[in-house]
Order: sequence, then C-alpha cells, then structure tokens
Amino acid sequence: MSSTQFACETTRLTAAYGDEPVLRDVNVQVPQGVVMGIVGPNGAGKTTLLKALIGLMPLLSGSVHFFGQSYRRARSRIGYMPQQRSVDWDFPTTVFDAVMMGTYGSLGWFKRPGAAERERTEHALAEVEMTELADRQIGELSGGQRQRTFLARALVEEPDVYLMDEPFQGVDAASEKAIVTVMHALRERGKTIIIVHHDLTTVRGYCDWLTLLRIGVVASGPVDKVFTEANLQRTYERDQVFCEVGGFCPW
Amino acid sequence: MVVEFFAQLGDHTVRIVAIGATVIGFVAGSLGCFAYLRRQSLLGDVVSHASLSGITLAFILASLFADTVAKSMIVLIPGAIVIGSIAMLFAGAVVRRTKIKMDTALAVTLALFFGGGITLMRVIQTGPFTDRQGLDSYIFGQAAAITIADVYAILALGAIALVLLAVFWKEFKLYTFDEGFAKSKGFSARVLEPLLLSTIVIAVVIGLKAVGIVLMIAFVIAPPSAARQWTHRLEGMVLLAGGVGAISGLLGTLTSGMLGDVPTGPVIVLFLTFFAVMSLFVAPKRGIVFRTVRMRRKRRQLIAQAQLQGETT
Repeated sequence: MSSTQFACETTRLTAAYGDEPVLRDVNVQVPQGVVMGIVGPNGAGKTTLLKALIGLMPLLSGSVHFFGQSYRRARSRIGYMPQQRSVDWDFPTTVFDAVMMGTYGSLGWFKRPGAAERERTEHALAEVEMTELADRQIGELSGGQRQRTFLARALVEEPDVYLMDEPFQGVDAASEKAIVTVMHALRERGKTIIIVHHDLTTVRGYCDWLTLLRIGVVASGPVDKVFTEANLQRTYERDQVFCEVGGFCPW
Repeated sequence: MVVEFFAQLGDHTVRIVAIGATVIGFVAGSLGCFAYLRRQSLLGDVVSHASLSGITLAFILASLFADTVAKSMIVLIPGAIVIGSIAMLFAGAVVRRTKIKMDTALAVTLALFFGGGITLMRVIQTGPFTDRQGLDSYIFGQAAAITIADVYAILALGAIALVLLAVFWKEFKLYTFDEGFAKSKGFSARVLEPLLLSTIVIAVVIGLKAVGIVLMIAFVIAPPSAARQWTHRLEGMVLLAGGVGAISGLLGTLTSGMLGDVPTGPVIVLFLTFFAVMSLFVAPKRGIVFRTVRMRRKRRQLIAQAQLQGETT
C-alpha cells in the first residue's frame, strides 16, 4: 500500500524563526483512527509543528501530506483547533456564531451560511453539550466552555483529521472529561486526532500514538513503545524533572 | 428651539455640510469597528497624519499640470490614500525587520510622515503656487469649505468601502476574530489583510478635509468604543457605530451652526466623545454604573454570609 494510508505524514520537515531552527528534520507518520499526542518541553516546537502541518508556519524544507495529498487539497478533511489564548474572547459574537464560523471553509469565499449550516452548527453544539449556551456572548464562558466552543467549531465540518493545540489548557475536570469523550468517540468512528499535550500523567489514558518532540523527533510511534523512561529522559534532559509519570520517579 | 435647530437644514450650504458630516460619521464609525477589534486604532491615526505628506505631494504634482484642479478632493484624496498606505506598510516593515515594537514604530512613522507633510506645506507656501489658499485647512479641518463635489467624492469613497465590507463580511469577521483559523480554512491573509487595511484608510481619508488630520481619529475610535458597550454581536456593533457617527455628524454640524463662530469638526468630536463616555458609564452589563452596583450588592451579600457564619459557629 502507498503512503495514502497515513492520515498525516511529514518528511524531513524543517522550519525556523529567522536563523533559529524550531523544527529540525521531523519525520512523523500518523495512521488513521488514532489519537496522537505531541509531547515535549516548552519551546520544543509542539505548536509550531501543528502550524507547520497546515501551512501557518512556512517550511524551510520537507513536506507534509494528509492521506497522501497536500494540505491545500485535503483542507476540507482537516479541522484545526487553535490555542484558546490565541483569540480575544471579548470579540462581539455568540457561541452559536463562533461555532458556525467552522462552516465558512466549505462555504468558500462570498457565500453566506444558510439553513444547512445552522443545522450542522446545532448538531456540533449538541455533541459538546453546549446547546443551552448557544446565545451566550463568548466572553462570558469559562475556560472549559471556551475550549468546547472551539471543539464544536472544528467538529462542524466533520473532518477526518483533528489538530488540537492544548485542548485541555485552562479547562476544568468536567470539561476535560467531555472533550476526551468526544475525542475517543471520534476515534471509534475512524477519525484521527493529533493533540499538543502537556500532562504526562494522562498520556497513556488519552493517546494511543505519541511523538516526543524537542526541535527534532526524539521518538514517534505507539504509546507503549515510545513512552519509556529513556525516551522521556532524552526529551526532558536538563529540563524540569517529571516524577509523576506513572507514579514512579525514574531518575 | 428644536424647530430652528433643524430648520437650518433648509440652507443649502448647511445641508451640504450636514450630509458630508453624516456620511463621514457613518462610514468612519462602522469601518472603525474593525480597527478597534484588531487593536489597530493607532494605525488610523498614523494614516491620518501621514496623509498630509500625500495631500501636499499630490497638490504639488497636480499643480505642474493644471493649477485649477490641484486643490480638489479628487486630486488630493488619492495622494492621501497612497501615502497613508505606504506609511502603514512602512511601520509594518520596521516591526518585521528590526527589533522595534509596534507602538514605537507607529509613533516614528507618524512623526516622520507628518513632519514631511509640514515641510512640503512650507514649500508650497513659499513656492510659485497660485491656488494654495485653504490647503492648510486639512490640518485642523474646515467643514464649512465642503463643496457639493466634495460630498460626491465622500459618497463615492464611502460607498466603495461599505460595499467591500458587505461583500467580505463573513471573511472580515472570521479573520478579525481568529486569523490562524481563517488561514487554515483557506482564507488568505494576503487578500484579506490589504482589504481590511484599505477600509481603514478610506474611513480616515474621507473625513480629512471636513474634520482635519488631527481630529479624524476620533471618528474612527469613538463610535466603536460606544457601540461595543451596548451589543455583543458584530452586526449590531457595526450598525450602531455607524449610527453614532452619523448622528454625531448631523448634531455637530447643526450645533456649530446655531452657535455661530464655532468650528464644526471639533463640535462633532465633542458629540462623539459624549456618546462614548456615556456608553462606558450607563451601558447594561459592561457599563461602569452597572458593574459598580453589581459589585456592591455582591459584597454586601458576602458580608452578610460571613456574619451569619460567625454567629452560627
């Protein structure tokens, strides 16, 4: 079989801010139907990798393919969920409107959302249990509700690949559980989810695929193979020690 | 009194100024919302000050060909648009290429292009230009000097800007709220950024002759600041800001007419400021009054609860 089997595949991907490399020679292959975590210390390039995948960060070299196609061609199959703090939540819009913005991509230029888009929006809101808050001004939402709004916006076009940048940032326990439930439900339907993740204690519970990143890839593959003491030590070397991993202190 | 106030509109000159000021207020107010939401209000001030270079340059160039049209808005405004846009791009380039931050870059750009404009103004005043009277009124504005041709120019430019806004509404909204997400959905920043910036430029330049370089920024900032307090939908905000700008333009023109020897632009700005300040105080939910009352009530409840707890233990 060809590489079209991979939901997402990067080949020798390198990117830089000015002359400072932020991603070096990144090779990652994500099979379909998995939740893949991207884990690494601060400044490891996790968010940059996500942005590089969808063309928000220009590449110095290398390539990215989704189902064997360029991002431009596969765009309608990919949902992006940026970091919560990347937008101004005082923007004058309601939850419903913000979620409906997720339909703009398939509408393309100039066309306005209609009844079909509204219906899909309602459906997505129901999926993240936000129906009652549809008319709320987004500034009035809690951290967890904001994240669920973003999730619904990504869900609305029913893409096959979801790219989520720190979906649990500033989220209460109930919302985290709700987001994980949606994530795993998507996986059951054969969707692929790539998340930038921080909490090492939940890696095993949430993800079945893992990429340890530190500018370059330290290790990438099934969680069981990648999530090892030695790999973590290499990823977080000279960094803060993470003793809470699986309840043991490896070094 | 009220009858007299509006009866002024019977006068042809007053009517022209009133129409001009109302349209300027509506266009600048509604388009100003995007500058406000993108935190680019200062950029509007840079465009307005930099446009003096454009106005003077356009005047000098046009004088070389035909003295008689050199001072008309149709000649001067394109100059203001071109140089205003260049100034904006210049500030952006400074931020990208150097370690200078945006606020500093904007201040430097404003000073540089405004200084250039003042210098050229001096050149014009001492040079062989026959039709130069009134050109310096662009600095502080002179609403009374607005002609019917100017009103047509204001209407035409305003219409272009509003049509752009209507056509790209969905895209502008998405791009302003979440640039990264907009790009990920295939809405190119290379298309939207210049379009949005050009709406800000138009919002500024149409008012230059009537309101002046110095005060124009109030037309761009005050209506959105007022409107934002009353609504939490972008549609409502843009319409309301346009309305605040238009009503201020009309009331300001008529008030300055009643008062006699008082310049129109500054009076309009006073109305704009009044609406903005009033909204900040009395608007429901966001207003200072509402929030103070709510805070006091909550604090009283907290004290009562604490006392109750103290008594039971």
